[in-house]
Amino acid sequence: MSAGDLGAAALRAALFLSLWGTGTAIYAAWRRDARVLASARVAAGIAFGLVVIAALSMMFALATHDFSILYVAENNARETPLFYSIISLWAALEGSILLWTAILAGATAFIAFRGTLAIPRLATTALAVMFAMLTFFLLLVTTPAADPFARLAVAPENGNGPNALLQNHPLMALHPPLLYLGYVLTSVPFAYAIASLILGEGGDRWLVATRRFALISWALLGVGIVAGAWWSYAVLGWGGYWAWDPVENAAIMPWLTSTAYLHSVMVEEKRSLLRSWNLALVVATFALTILGTFLTRSGVVNSVHSFSLSAIGPILLGYLVAILVLSVGLLLWRSARLRDAGPIGTPLSREAIFLFQNVLFMAATLTILLGTLYPLVAEAISGAQLSIGGPYFDRVEIPVALALLFLMGIGPQLPWHGASRATLERQFTAPIVAAAFGALAALVTGTTALPAVLTYALGAFVVATVVQEFARGVRARRTLHGEGELAAFASLFRRNGRRYGGYVVHLGIVLVALAVATSQARTVDAERTLAPGDSLEVAGYTIRLEAIRPVSEPQRDSIVADLAISGNGASEQLRPALVQYPNSTAAVGSPGIGAGLRDDLYTILAAYDQRTFSWATIRTRVIPGVSWLWLGGAVIGIGAIIAALPAPRRRSVRMAVAEVAVSAK
Amino acid sequence: MNRRVLIAIAVLALAGALAFAARPHETTADDRVAQITAELRCPVCQGLSVKDSTSETARQMRDLVAQRVREGKTDAEIEAEFRAAYGDWIFLSPPLASWTGLVWLVPVAVLAAGLALVTGRLRSTGVPQPSAPSTTEVAALRERVAREEAAEG
Amino acid sequence: MLARVARILVVVAILGLVVTLALAFRRDPHDIRTGTVNKPAPAFTLQRLDGSGRVSLADYSGKVVVVNFFASWCLPCIQENPALVRVYERYRSSDVVILGINYQETRENGLAYVQRMGISWTSVADDDGRVALSYGVFGPPETFFIGPDGVIAGRHIGPIDEETLVTAIEKLRGQAATR
Repeated sequence: MSAGDLGAAALRAALFLSLWGTGTAIYAAWRRDARVLASARVAAGIAFGLVVIAALSMMFALATHDFSILYVAENNARETPLFYSIISLWAALEGSILLWTAILAGATAFIAFRGTLAIPRLATTALAVMFAMLTFFLLLVTTPAADPFARLAVAPENGNGPNALLQNHPLMALHPPLLYLGYVLTSVPFAYAIASLILGEGGDRWLVATRRFALISWALLGVGIVAGAWWSYAVLGWGGYWAWDPVENAAIMPWLTSTAYLHSVMVEEKRSLLRSWNLALVVATFALTILGTFLTRSGVVNSVHSFSLSAIGPILLGYLVAILVLSVGLLLWRSARLRDAGPIGTPLSREAIFLFQNVLFMAATLTILLGTLYPLVAEAISGAQLSIGGPYFDRVEIPVALALLFLMGIGPQLPWHGASRATLERQFTAPIVAAAFGALAALVTGTTALPAVLTYALGAFVVATVVQEFARGVRARRTLHGEGELAAFASLFRRNGRRYGGYVVHLGIVLVALAVATSQARTVDAERTLAPGDSLEVAGYTIRLEAIRPVSEPQRDSIVADLAISGNGASEQLRPALVQYPNSTAAVGSPGIGAGLRDDLYTILAAYDQRTFSWATIRTRVIPGVSWLWLGGAVIGIGAIIAALPAPRRRSVRMAVAEVAVSAK
Repeated sequence: MNRRVLIAIAVLALAGALAFAARPHETTADDRVAQITAELRCPVCQGLSVKDSTSETARQMRDLVAQRVREGKTDAEIEAEFRAAYGDWIFLSPPLASWTGLVWLVPVAVLAAGLALVTGRLRSTGVPQPSAPSTTEVAALRERVAREEAAEG
Repeated sequence: MLARVARILVVVAILGLVVTLALAFRRDPHDIRTGTVNKPAPAFTLQRLDGSGRVSLADYSGKVVVVNFFASWCLPCIQENPALVRVYERYRSSDVVILGINYQETRENGLAYVQRMGISWTSVADDDGRVALSYGVFGPPETFFIGPDGVIAGRHIGPIDEETLVTAIEKLRGQAATR
């Protein structure tokens, strides 16, 4: 039995188990039957194992160049290095859906074994929802819609090889899996939310059960997006990290609603308010992930991800419609129970800030959705063709982002139920002074564009509030426990990881905001055609072209420009190249990047003398602050890990209450 | 009183910095070329601007824009030239003038609607705050917690 | 009341979203129609590829002109060439003119391509790409049909086949005859 046969058989067996699981989970929830639930559990576990086997079989088939499988013939070649062969599992549609299915099966098994122990009936209903979704995806991979193991009648001698862009950089190993983990894990809170609506019960318990899933999926999605930005920067070679490409938009929309949800949920936990908001946000997040997959794979919008277009478009659209009809129907049906008991709070209370941030995040998401789809709408209605790109999104989203940055600063400082004037004065003096210093720092470093100065001011504002919060927390612990400063600082993370990890995430966001503001405001371009020995100068750097030479590797041919960099204390070699893969008509640009804390030097080989290599057009960009983007992403990840850690077992509730009482003033 | 003075000074400094940033300043020819090419869509790329694209077509377009700027043409004239050849598609943000400009209105409308919806849910007066515990109160708190925890074992 | 309105709006919006996406399937993302069609063809004067003089669009006024933008680095251009050759032969001794405009490459490469592919119609070089930009060219191969009245009657993006060429040409010749 070949790897392809094994994989195909495993998927079909998993499909049967998933159908069985759906049925038994529904029955077990309805009749509260523990034995039938046990059967569903077993089905989940085995199904997960089988899908993993299928994924591993595909990796094996790719590594051994089994061209009798259509997917391998299209996405692999004999010359493809082993590393890229294996990660080609997610190079195109069928393999990506297989990866998605594997993650979904894993989440289903997790709920089956862990979730159902905690809140049996709710979790079992959620399990039924998960099984139903898993069945859909297994149907995709076992039918011609997206069957990765479809066979070729005659195996070709050699395959096409992966798309040029997908074998140019090791990041390909990280970006899709991270993103998919983020995407798929949003289905867990969704399943619980649907279960809660169906049963008409569960109150707020499902929030606690899914809190960690929501946080983890948010973090993975966020890091996946940052990885995508890094990809755009290091691989696509145009000198930027975000182009408002439809597929980028498709990834950031669920992340925005997920962020809103993570915060809004605190209001529900604390005061049982905003229930309908939270359910709607969970549903929206999940629906947007399906919409995102649809946009990426259906070809209705032109984008950098238009690699593999197939008939799956209408099927995914049907799935999306089914989900929307189900969720919105349930929400409307149960809307009476979800209504909030009373008014929320005064405008200057923490609840109100969370409500405002909900509105802002939704506005941002809807704007991006509208902007991405507007060209389609306009053309459908009037036949007019128009573009909506970077300039539109920048103009519309930057004000919203700045407003959110502001809320990020004042939210954690405002008490629940509202603040008095004296409180406000006391708490915001230092941050306002910090904001003034931030603005001045911007001007001093030459960042004089208005949005950038605002970003610096608001960033300093937020940092000051975070420092204040840490200081108060440390002071409270010292007062109550007599701990030393460092010990107090550490125990803040240990005992209240959610709160202080969250603050670390906020610091990461500030870093990202500063990176974006600085790079947008102060990037400098220069382009010149040089002969070997000539140099060009930009922003204090001197770039000398030393040679242009061809480089041959088994899977590709490249033309490399050797550049010697000096000035501003730098002394290094950069090698931008134009890489030609046999299966692609155009060469792929590979930038030479000299990264630094203050700025990056980004070099591109735009054109060259094809006959005698006597000249090359070198394009350079000096991009200040872009490294802070990656740093910010790492800080966000660290903060999320801290927030996701379980609190220490023997936590004294009374002590916690006392701490909060002392630190709140 | 001190706090208020400090806040006032800080706010003034901030306002001054923002006003300085927002001041209208000279745009050089290069600036103009950068601004115009940032709004033009590269015809052979996936949504990149002419400013960002490294393709030959984009380079030729940048040259053309630079030449027109040197010749003294206004932004509107240069844009009209490209619109005549490529239509509205060539602009990365839809022009305000035509009906497609509706897309600028929607974000504002959504935001306004959202804010209207939520301000209706807010209470007008505040709830009195519990006052801060004094040091004696804190000591008493600490003692009581220690006692209760000892009792739990 | 407000909440009910909001709910209805949400449902309508979602319906709108779904309908839009469904409609989007009918559209071909490679079909971009806006531009110079039905407008007077921009004038130009370009050097012949073999350096033997200059050619202006005005030289052909009153005739049906098929302008074909091409380049040697463009694979679909190689694909469409036989169709162009056949059409050229068919209309050789008539008032239909085929003009090839080579762009985004050196004269030598362009000339070598012309000789290799057996292109007997006039070929000129658009060195700085301005003519292509004025016509709203997206990328080679792209073919424009200019009527005897000097107006661009149609444009075809991508490799063209004999049938499309002949249909467009005959339509323009019909127009010329009725004048």
